[in-house]
Amino acid sequence: MTSKIALDKPGSYALLNGDEAVARGAIEASLKVAAAYPGTPSTEILETIASVSKELGIYSEWSINEIVAAEVAAGASMTGVRALTSMKHVGLNVAADAVMTLAYTGVEGGLLIVVCDDPALHSSQNEQDTRYFAVHAKLPLLDAGNPQEAHDMAREAFEISEKLHLPVILRLTTRVAHGKAKVKLGSLSKIKRHVEFDKNGNRWVMVPANAIRQHRVLEVRLSQAKTIVNHSKFNTIEDNGSEIGIIGSGVAYYYARSVLDTKKYSWLKLGFIHPFPHEMVRRFALKVKKLIVLEELRPYLEENLQRLGLHIVGKNELGLEEIGEYTPDVVRQALANYGLTEQCAAAIRTDLPPRPPALCPGCPHRAFYYALNTANQHIECNSDKCVGCNICEYACSFEKEGVFNPLKSRIHPIRMNLTYNTAITCKACINAPCAAACPEEAITQSRETGTITVDQTKCKGCDWCIEACQFGAITLHPETKKPQVCDTCGGNPKCVSVCPESALSFVGRPNDKIVAGDIGCYTLGSLPPLSAVQSCLCMGGGISMGAGMMHAGVKDKVFAVIGDSTFFHGGMPGLLNIVYNKANVCVVIMDNSIIAMTGHQPTPGSGRTAMGDPAKVVKIEDIVRAVGIEKIVTVDPYDVKATTTAIKEMVNYKGPSVIISKRTCPLLVKKGEPYEVTDKCNNCGVCHKVLGCPAISVVDNKAKIDTTLCNGCGVCKNVCAFSCIRRRE
Amino acid sequence: MKLDVVFSGVGGQGVVVLSDIYCEAAMLEGFDVAKAEIHGMAQRGGSIVAYTRIGEKVESPLIETGKADVIVGFEILETARSLPMLKPGGNVIVNLKLIQPSCMPLSVKPKSQKELITLLETRASVHKVDGFGIAQKLGNMLVVNTVLLGALSALPEIPIKVESFQQAIAGKIKERFINLNLQALQLGRESVLKS
Repeated sequence: MTSKIALDKPGSYALLNGDEAVARGAIEASLKVAAAYPGTPSTEILETIASVSKELGIYSEWSINEIVAAEVAAGASMTGVRALTSMKHVGLNVAADAVMTLAYTGVEGGLLIVVCDDPALHSSQNEQDTRYFAVHAKLPLLDAGNPQEAHDMAREAFEISEKLHLPVILRLTTRVAHGKAKVKLGSLSKIKRHVEFDKNGNRWVMVPANAIRQHRVLEVRLSQAKTIVNHSKFNTIEDNGSEIGIIGSGVAYYYARSVLDTKKYSWLKLGFIHPFPHEMVRRFALKVKKLIVLEELRPYLEENLQRLGLHIVGKNELGLEEIGEYTPDVVRQALANYGLTEQCAAAIRTDLPPRPPALCPGCPHRAFYYALNTANQHIECNSDKCVGCNICEYACSFEKEGVFNPLKSRIHPIRMNLTYNTAITCKACINAPCAAACPEEAITQSRETGTITVDQTKCKGCDWCIEACQFGAITLHPETKKPQVCDTCGGNPKCVSVCPESALSFVGRPNDKIVAGDIGCYTLGSLPPLSAVQSCLCMGGGISMGAGMMHAGVKDKVFAVIGDSTFFHGGMPGLLNIVYNKANVCVVIMDNSIIAMTGHQPTPGSGRTAMGDPAKVVKIEDIVRAVGIEKIVTVDPYDVKATTTAIKEMVNYKGPSVIISKRTCPLLVKKGEPYEVTDKCNNCGVCHKVLGCPAISVVDNKAKIDTTLCNGCGVCKNVCAFSCIRRRE
Repeated sequence: MKLDVVFSGVGGQGVVVLSDIYCEAAMLEGFDVAKAEIHGMAQRGGSIVAYTRIGEKVESPLIETGKADVIVGFEILETARSLPMLKPGGNVIVNLKLIQPSCMPLSVKPKSQKELITLLETRASVHKVDGFGIAQKLGNMLVVNTVLLGALSALPEIPIKVESFQQAIAGKIKERFINLNLQALQLGRESVLKS
């Protein structure tokens, strides 16, 4: 069956989202080469093109990042064929170096740069407005308001690009890219191009003498564009003889039309908006007495209208913001405040528990973060469960000294009042005050585990450590008169195992290391209960930011977590840099062999291309070794114990090091048999409150695994200290 | 004519695919169609909503608060979350499946199935569908969604013939599963028509 994208039935309709519509429009315009890096909400553009590439003789690729994609498309265009590159708004920052100068060189075959902005940050790290990038780069920009426009503009953009010899930017926003609509298809144009690169021209060599000439050429081309915009079919006036005129671009225009009686107003829809269509706007302004402007994000139209000396009703007057996205409710409220329509219906309050996005059941990232958080464990007492039986105290003194003597215990139950009991022991504080207080440097804290050790020979028994501990966890040994403190029995605490009420647990502490994050599914590790990741700036940024913190002199060990595709995209230079500049950073590459966040696009490590052909599998370990990292450990994060050991090893290692946490994304693997919780469960909370698997909830005061959600990974079994989880038989 | 339907559920339940089939069926009847949905984070077990709008001419892909005609809920809590979108007295089709969100802050009390259904009934005309049970009868848990589509198709305000739904399913689903899904559609229809 031919996909609807490749269907040659002009005039027929298909349900397409904005991305698919762009793909179809470009295909109709005889696109030859397409390259992109995935990024929500732009991903489906290349995905759609790739799905019909072989059938239609188009070359498409997932490039390793946006600037590479832009360069591939630019190279193709230089040979005379039509080319496309697509990216999300922040991807354009990565591609900016190429795009800014491409404006000077210009193009041979039509070159379309599709950029998807994300107002309201549905899946992004900022709300930048690409319309201003077009101003910055002096490139023509089309702004689509719905999938039909996205289709028509993509098709037409190649004509515009070839007419002006400039790359053309087509901007979508999330609601356009991921909104679906009935789209009227055009014909497949089947333009044949002779592929040839002009080796003799100086236009491609951007040395100063050529570049300054090309800058002048760019100005001429841009002034030609100024004529085109005033007659573009994407800028349309609907004159209803009203005194009020509404100017809008993007989806905001359609929100206004849906909340107002359209016949009562005159309308100017702007689609080809850079350069700004001055003449057309002036013509429209003459017909009306009042101009209302509606646009999301920055006031681009407003500023241009003000520059023409026109009085407008804009964001300020309507009470609208530059932050977030508009909705029909937002637009209605603004227009109602201005007296043009009725107020929004009052929303009822439902007051429901939230359901934030979470790492999937079976996600290897969760297992890794758990290991990272629990590399440093201490004993906690749940006062709701503690009955003050004192068994922990006896168990401790017997374990440590072979006697039942509470004075020789390292844990101390206390009764705060008749109904409140708890037990006090060392909390393995970050930068432990007891160690800092010791004048003899007899107290040391393990970097690996946070455990406190007292050197009995150095200790003079001054008691300062006892004063320094705000929990009262350090006591004097009745005979030696030296301080005694919990050492967690070497990671297997006796008190926890004997507590009859399961009030004691051996828990880790999120946030006791610096973990510089990056962009991908694993950024969700910043959310509770894992709360393991403390930064997320840009693609590949975590490694170098971690290095910066280390060079600045932070005391904590610095980790940087990064996914496999983000590592290929922007992490490799950062890794090379920490080798060259000797940064003591442990980089954790979370290799799930796919770009999971955007819907499983292949990476150089996946072994296949965008078009489905087999490809060389690039091994991350080879790259890491090649840039000069000497300390490399590869772990399976499902093996929590081995992972914790590797992390502890890296805490003590001085110098750049890498942990490769390797496990395929569970959404790509057949689910295993689900696990179940036995009746023995004492609801200690490790599986649902600390590990935080979404398949586990609490029913009747016991953990319960939802077998339809369980992935069968077994990590919960590995972390249950009471062996209450088993595979379903 | 204009009809706004909200589809809501949890990421991974098939909200996007089912709302697509509904829109395809509407297009077969010659309606203009627009829908809005969010991808990307949707797979990670978060809330997911697809807004669909059909009519002679549809301008906005988003629905205004309190103006949706119908909610099709794949999961009870998410159905309740979409309730502010519904017009007073609108129809709700709800699959009797509750997935409690994980890792709730301690300050938030979980809601029981009974509480949530009561909440829905205060504002809507509720059609409860045992999608799980019906799918089990057909021997394939993956057809729960089609059962819900069948239930939707039986509402009197839906201006789409059952044949169009059948055709839309056939155009979207692998051939060997078509019959199974047509059965599911029929059983879903009956569950509403009988009640």
